[in-house]
Amino acid sequence: MKIDIFDYNTNVKNTWCPGCGNFNIHMALKTALIELNRHPSDVVLSFDIGCNGNGGDKIEGFRVKGLHGRAIPFAVGAHIANRRMTVIADIGDGGCLHEGIDHLIHAIRSNYDITVLIHNNENFALTTGQITSTSDTGKRMYGFPNGKTEGDINIGELVLSLNPSFYARGFSGDPIHLAQIIKSGIKHKGFSAIEIVQVCPTYNPENSLELLKSKIEKVEESDDIEIARKRVCDDKKLYTGVIYRNSSIKDYYSKLKNRQNIKSELVDEVKNHSISNILSDFQ
Amino acid sequence: MKERFSIKFGGESGQGINTLGKFISKALKNLGYVTFAYREYPSIIKGGYASYQIDFSSQDILSSTKKCNLLTCISKDSITEYLPTVAKNGILLHSVDSFEFSKSDLEYLKKKSIKVVYINTSEITKSNNAPQIMGNVVMLGSIWKIFDIDLKILEKVIVEYFSRKKGIDIEAEKRCLRAGYEVEDIKNLQIVKFPNIKNRDWSKSKVLTGNEALALGAISAGCRAYYAYPMTPATSILEVLGNTYEKSGIVVKQAESEITAIQMVMGSMYMGTRAFTATSGGGFDLMTESISCSGMTEIPLVIVLGQRAGSGTGVPTWSGASDLNVALHSGHGEFPRCVLSASDAVDCYQLIQEAFNISEIYQIPVILLTEKHIAESIFNISKLPTVTKIERGIVKNGTKRYLITRNGISPRWLPESKNNTYLTNSDEHDEMGISTEEEIEIVNMSEKRLRKLNALIKNIPEPKYYGPKDPTVVFVGMGSTKNAVLDAMKQSKKRIGFLHYKYIFPLKYEKILEFSEKKVKIVLIENNQSGGFGKLIKQQSNFYISNTLNKFDGRPFFVDDILEYFK
Repeated sequence: MKIDIFDYNTNVKNTWCPGCGNFNIHMALKTALIELNRHPSDVVLSFDIGCNGNGGDKIEGFRVKGLHGRAIPFAVGAHIANRRMTVIADIGDGGCLHEGIDHLIHAIRSNYDITVLIHNNENFALTTGQITSTSDTGKRMYGFPNGKTEGDINIGELVLSLNPSFYARGFSGDPIHLAQIIKSGIKHKGFSAIEIVQVCPTYNPENSLELLKSKIEKVEESDDIEIARKRVCDDKKLYTGVIYRNSSIKDYYSKLKNRQNIKSELVDEVKNHSISNILSDFQ
Repeated sequence: MKERFSIKFGGESGQGINTLGKFISKALKNLGYVTFAYREYPSIIKGGYASYQIDFSSQDILSSTKKCNLLTCISKDSITEYLPTVAKNGILLHSVDSFEFSKSDLEYLKKKSIKVVYINTSEITKSNNAPQIMGNVVMLGSIWKIFDIDLKILEKVIVEYFSRKKGIDIEAEKRCLRAGYEVEDIKNLQIVKFPNIKNRDWSKSKVLTGNEALALGAISAGCRAYYAYPMTPATSILEVLGNTYEKSGIVVKQAESEITAIQMVMGSMYMGTRAFTATSGGGFDLMTESISCSGMTEIPLVIVLGQRAGSGTGVPTWSGASDLNVALHSGHGEFPRCVLSASDAVDCYQLIQEAFNISEIYQIPVILLTEKHIAESIFNISKLPTVTKIERGIVKNGTKRYLITRNGISPRWLPESKNNTYLTNSDEHDEMGISTEEEIEIVNMSEKRLRKLNALIKNIPEPKYYGPKDPTVVFVGMGSTKNAVLDAMKQSKKRIGFLHYKYIFPLKYEKILEFSEKKVKIVLIENNQSGGFGKLIKQQSNFYISNTLNKFDGRPFFVDDILEYFK
């Protein structure tokens, strides 16, 4: 059965601001899934809370809108239960780098085979523009007329410091390229961290579509960590594409010794299991 | 105390007293006795003092006595600490070289007619060409001689254990055991005559901690993933499921936090496998936002809350039951939940299976309470109960995930290829799961969810009553309080009853009212200070139980505590 974008569209009223980067991000995500021939019922989307999470009803699939900061561990639990499904976590810079940064760090080192889309619009937008660790220093923010006192977190630098298997960066202003990046992420067997530089015309107009476009430079996929590190630390440019990929790291589930020769998924195995072979140890 | 006997091992943490305790337990069990073992240990790795007490009897027993008949100590501090726990006419056996008793200790020994025997284990091991660590086995031999039982029974247990370990000189172990058995000083020690064993073959019975039974119950129930962060007294569930994972095929994950663990459980349960997590008070506090989320999204959730003593970090390795408040009230907003409480290993095995069924059928969070005293004490079970039938309430496919129904239960079908997709939403939502802020929809959905409690309470069994038909006193309680009261019944001439609650919320309180109408004295027994269970009973039934027996010193109720209540 041929899948097209209408299979992924919903008839729910839009609630994003005009010009919001989320429109293109959704377009790119839908395109990637269609091109990979994934039907909506093959996909689990774990949404965070925030403007990104409000996209939970604007795309088809098995969607979950759970708790702020927790989109990643929920997605991991879903993935471990049934690997027939394509599992994607969708989260903002606030949820990912603040409330739930531990989940990102440990998911990278665990290398679960899921894809994480990190919407980086440099603020908590849904709650009207609070500071995040990616907000520009000195920029007036909600409650802080002189901007933030704290330092920054560079998502690329953070991810690359953790021996990741996949880090990519896309741009909401280039949904065609972003779709290809998301496709690579989904296809990658391991934890695919995809940072999406997202415009926010309401709370981050300084970093306009035009300004960001002028900084973008697309790169080819690389497996050189040093080059990748230089790219993510470059202040002048915004490199997009698969910045770093290491396909030699096995994903978490593949490393589980007790699941090596089992064909079924955990969802197939809910039945009364005999404990007699274990109980003999307790006599 | 004619019908039961108690032996306590005392030593430093890390000296191996648990292994000693296990050997004696197992050998006694193989002889046909029913054993119950209780551990006390500090929250440190080495040093301090720890104990392992085995109570045994020819009848069923489920609890410990405060005083032991035989104390065996292998460290200096443990003698000082545990000497006051030796009963009248008891024996202290120790291996501490040139130990000197204080004046007050000597007075206690005299007053209670306690006999003291020093076993020079270092000399005995040396003369038997064995390493000093085997002094522990020498002590075992001496204990067995005091019991005056055939040494072969104990030797078999020890040999079986060590033959599974690498690099152990089993012959040396046997020599040391025999040497301990033949120590001159113990040959004439009089000990109470052991009760006879009435035609019982307990050699195939199981020796299980509450946590072990709970882990086995989870495997039986088709649980396929366990995610947890270590916290006493829940940690050993991770140990059991981890160490048996090759046989069970379960995915066992030590998560980076309790929040991760519970979110992974929710993700896996949402997909349609069975998963759970276990923690203690502090970790549970971290999980509470997810409990509320489970209530709203109607994703089934199973959490084991292993209680320990105190707020904050409290007294981490000691027992208590003061977390019913969080089990009942944690999580923001109003949503249905179920709270269960285990009292022993059999309950742990059965209730975890029930917890999965209830959480899936009603699509609610289920919290199973245990205590350190249940989780880590060692119960002797003749046979585990039969497996509970798995009930899941899953439909093949559907259209409205949050369909408003009379009993509040909406169709749940699994996220699987070709099934109809849906939005699982922690925002208030309509029947399709789409976020809503409309008054009527908010009211209808809230009512739908809480209606599930009415459906649930209809299927919850009545509390179980133990005791005579015409009791003069009935204790009402949950958790391990049951075990001490049941053991006390056997020793008291009073007509004592016990009304045992396993299903705590929603609460069936009619039985309490029935006793009250019969003018029976009702006593609320709780292992905490302020009586959380009593408050729940009052809230639900408007019946206030004024007689209370509370204990909150980190120790469980001992048989003596119940008997003393009547003095």
